[in-house]
Amino acid sequence: MWDELRALAGILPKRRRRLDDLSRELQQHLDLEADEYQASGLSADDARAAARRAFGNPTLVAEDVRGEWNVRWAETLWRDIKHGARTLRKDAGFSLVAVLTLSLGIGANSLIFTALDALLLRPLPFAHADRLVRLYASKNGVVLPVPGGPSPPDARDYAEASRSFDQIVVYDIWRKNVSFTGAAAEPEQMRVGLVPAAYFEALDVQPLMGRLFTEDENHEGRNYVVAISAHLWATRLAGDPAILGRTLRINDEPYTVVAVMPDTIPHWMEAARPGPVEVWTPVAFPSWSSDAARGVRGGSALGRLKPGISLEQAQADLTLIAGRLAAAYPVDRDVSVVVTRLADTRAGTLKPMLFLLMGAVALILLIACVNLANLLLARNATRQHELALRTALGAGRGGLVRQLLIETLLLSAAGAAVGVAFAQLGLAALARSHPANLAQFDGIALDWRILAFTACIAVLTSLLFGLAPALTATGLNLVDVLKQGGRGVASGRGRALRNALVAIEMAMSLVLLVSASLLVQSIVRLQHQSLGIRQDHLLKGHFYLPPARYPDAAAIARFSDAFSETVRALPGVVDATITTAYPPNNGWLQMLNVARHPVTRLDDVPSAQFGVTDAHFMRTMGIPLVRGRDFSVSDTVERPAVAIVSAEFARRYFPNEDPIGQTIHVGPPPFLQLPAGTDTADSADVTVIGVAGDFRNAGLTNRPEPHLTVLYAQHPLVNFGFKDIVLRTTAEPHLVAPAVTRELHRLDPNLPFAEVQTIEELVDQQTGGQRLTATLLAVFAAGGLVLAVVGIYGVVSFLVAQRGTELAVRMAIGASGRTVLWLVLKESLGMAVIGSALGLAAAAAGQRMMSGLLFDVSPIDPLTFSVATLVLLGIAAVATLVPGVRSTRIDPARALYQD
Amino acid sequence: MPRTPSRTELLQGTLDMLILRTLLFGPAHGHEIARHIQRTTDDVLQVEHGSLYPALHRMERKDWIVSSWQRARDRNREFKYYRLTPLGRKQLAHAESKWKQIATAVARVMWPSPIER
Repeated sequence: MWDELRALAGILPKRRRRLDDLSRELQQHLDLEADEYQASGLSADDARAAARRAFGNPTLVAEDVRGEWNVRWAETLWRDIKHGARTLRKDAGFSLVAVLTLSLGIGANSLIFTALDALLLRPLPFAHADRLVRLYASKNGVVLPVPGGPSPPDARDYAEASRSFDQIVVYDIWRKNVSFTGAAAEPEQMRVGLVPAAYFEALDVQPLMGRLFTEDENHEGRNYVVAISAHLWATRLAGDPAILGRTLRINDEPYTVVAVMPDTIPHWMEAARPGPVEVWTPVAFPSWSSDAARGVRGGSALGRLKPGISLEQAQADLTLIAGRLAAAYPVDRDVSVVVTRLADTRAGTLKPMLFLLMGAVALILLIACVNLANLLLARNATRQHELALRTALGAGRGGLVRQLLIETLLLSAAGAAVGVAFAQLGLAALARSHPANLAQFDGIALDWRILAFTACIAVLTSLLFGLAPALTATGLNLVDVLKQGGRGVASGRGRALRNALVAIEMAMSLVLLVSASLLVQSIVRLQHQSLGIRQDHLLKGHFYLPPARYPDAAAIARFSDAFSETVRALPGVVDATITTAYPPNNGWLQMLNVARHPVTRLDDVPSAQFGVTDAHFMRTMGIPLVRGRDFSVSDTVERPAVAIVSAEFARRYFPNEDPIGQTIHVGPPPFLQLPAGTDTADSADVTVIGVAGDFRNAGLTNRPEPHLTVLYAQHPLVNFGFKDIVLRTTAEPHLVAPAVTRELHRLDPNLPFAEVQTIEELVDQQTGGQRLTATLLAVFAAGGLVLAVVGIYGVVSFLVAQRGTELAVRMAIGASGRTVLWLVLKESLGMAVIGSALGLAAAAAGQRMMSGLLFDVSPIDPLTFSVATLVLLGIAAVATLVPGVRSTRIDPARALYQD
Repeated sequence: MPRTPSRTELLQGTLDMLILRTLLFGPAHGHEIARHIQRTTDDVLQVEHGSLYPALHRMERKDWIVSSWQRARDRNREFKYYRLTPLGRKQLAHAESKWKQIATAVARVMWPSPIER
């Protein structure tokens, strides 16, 4: 390969020519020698032999000569490197600036490329991962929020009718209380995958030990088997070699371990429910894939395409089948399905931000390169005298170019090294403190490909931006330069080029500045927007009352009331509520009927976000009551069922009438022909007693949807074992958490208290991606700004140095300091104004990219644009003034006699 | 160059200087250089061909001399002629002064003058 490379570089033919040359030279020496011997009387043959004897072994000589070539090459290189290092050390200021400039560019790019690799490029850990897809249900063309899978019966029908899939599986992730028998007694809440038998088969993951689930185990009663991850096995079960057949208790029921699965399934796959899934049991709900569950969408769905089937074919196939199902079943009307490659879901909501950051680091790198080019141009210009002198002393142009290139390469190498260190720091910070819902960043680290990428950037920048200045520096007429003295050549074209570079640099840093400040403003608004509640000092935690010990609603209600009662009595706790709903997300969408406004079409059936709470909900959350009355502890199961609706609910479903006293039927409308066996547990009539202020229930960035709140005390049929407690504290909320856990365990030592965090932390977690992006972008913008300042400062300093004589002459013939300063300022401000105009245009053009990422901020926010421009112009002015003022202090006499 | 004995190392600087000095008279090819050194030293210094050519190529790499193929004046053949560069001239002056220093120093040790005693 090496030979091919050399041949490619044209070195090999050159070397062959030299070898031919050498043997010809030696042969002629031998011939001459032989001629002399012959002249002294020897025969031709004897003369040749004598000449050869006198010469020694020609092959050996030739080899020695070739050794000289190679040694010289290495020695020259080493000498050049040493000389380069010395030159750079001598000019420490320049070298430092150049290295830092490059390291910023390279560091930022390594960092983002690593993130890009983790999120987009790295292949999935599954066999034939390109055949793995996710299925999402859509209604009226709107895709359901993640995980958003189709209903199990729909998925079953897709799988049966389609010719494009090997498998389609629908599964779900539930929070359950798991205890490892024999280990510490206290169970903990874990995420448990409820999966069909074909789940692991679809992913093509084989157990390390044991067997996969069977179809038979997907039936209630036969489902008490469990598969665990190797990680769990190793960390929690001490890698017990006899693990198969052992028993785990899940929600107080015994499950037999039948398999240990490899840690193949990445955590980001269940991004909607952050946290690892390390326990799987067979899904075995009686109605799981019966027609009754046809409308139950929103689980997770995966498919494996048959070999050779394209995504488009699979999509067309399923669309057709979904159309048939939509015609056959009323609950499937307007419902279709969207197929997406699993790999494409990895970046998730980070994808647009990633592209934004890639744009940003590309700009940084460009700015860095422009700076480097500028620095080198300026430096080589001041070195023209030296270069000319060396040329005059016999140094070849090639040697000089090589010397300059080696200097640039040295700078790049140093820049790359520092840049990689920067990236390493950034990644360490990212790996340490990435938000929990960004599992893609688990264990993120630089690898050799990133290092190769970095090396490529370094070499390319040095070649691109080192070669051009090197060529212009050496391609000069010697006489011109020497005649000019040390001033170098301030050719009009060189100056225009430098000025253009600075203007471009300013434009790029303005784009960075604008987008960073837009994103920061957006995140600040997102973070500090009102959720519609008093969001400070609110702590939440989750617990689950397993049916094994809490078999009915009465038991659940008894426990919940007792728990919240003891928590309310804790010091530092103002109030507490047991609830299913809390901002900013809810997700329990409930169909309803407003008695006064019956509907006849399925599409018109009203729905609302639904919360089942106790009487302390409004007070604990700090939700204002707009009209009517709050819940009361006297609203018991014996009294009429009551409800509180949100202002948006009242606006949408009771326009122009008083909602108070209205009757709402919670549940599907009577005309909807529900298949036998459908769970209608949630059907009940309630009377509206109050209207609450709106609060965020559909995510941070979405307008609040209509909300309906009822009491679990009055609705045993919707009083499930999944409960959250939210408490308002006077103290720092986390200080209260241990006491709350203690109270829970005093009531039932076998209940884990999980997902404990403040509402503010929850908001932080949900804005994690944006905050990360905003932080990175702000850092990049700051870096870009620093680079731009360095660029402007460098160019103006250079300008002043070059025009020193001219300025001195002007001052000598009577120009005032101010005139001279203006002369200098004019040029750089010109660059700044042109650069700003370009930058503003570019930022405005890029608004489409930004708009999707911004919350409550216009992508062409005039204030942001003008402030950013002023900041940039101000900084440009300061960067100009420093060398500018220095120019007015030139002593004309000294400047003129300098040469 | 593991093959080259240390003796040549010792002589290397001297050989270079002699070659440069020879080229001061004008361009010459390898054989002429060797002959010239041999003749002017009355055959005291035999230039080993095994070190002449490596030396020539080394000096060429150092830009002290340049080479070109040219027709010889007395023969109808092309030879590789070496010529001094300005850098070579400088190097010669440098080597010469260094040599003088060494020679003087060696002379002082070998034949000390009574005045300095």
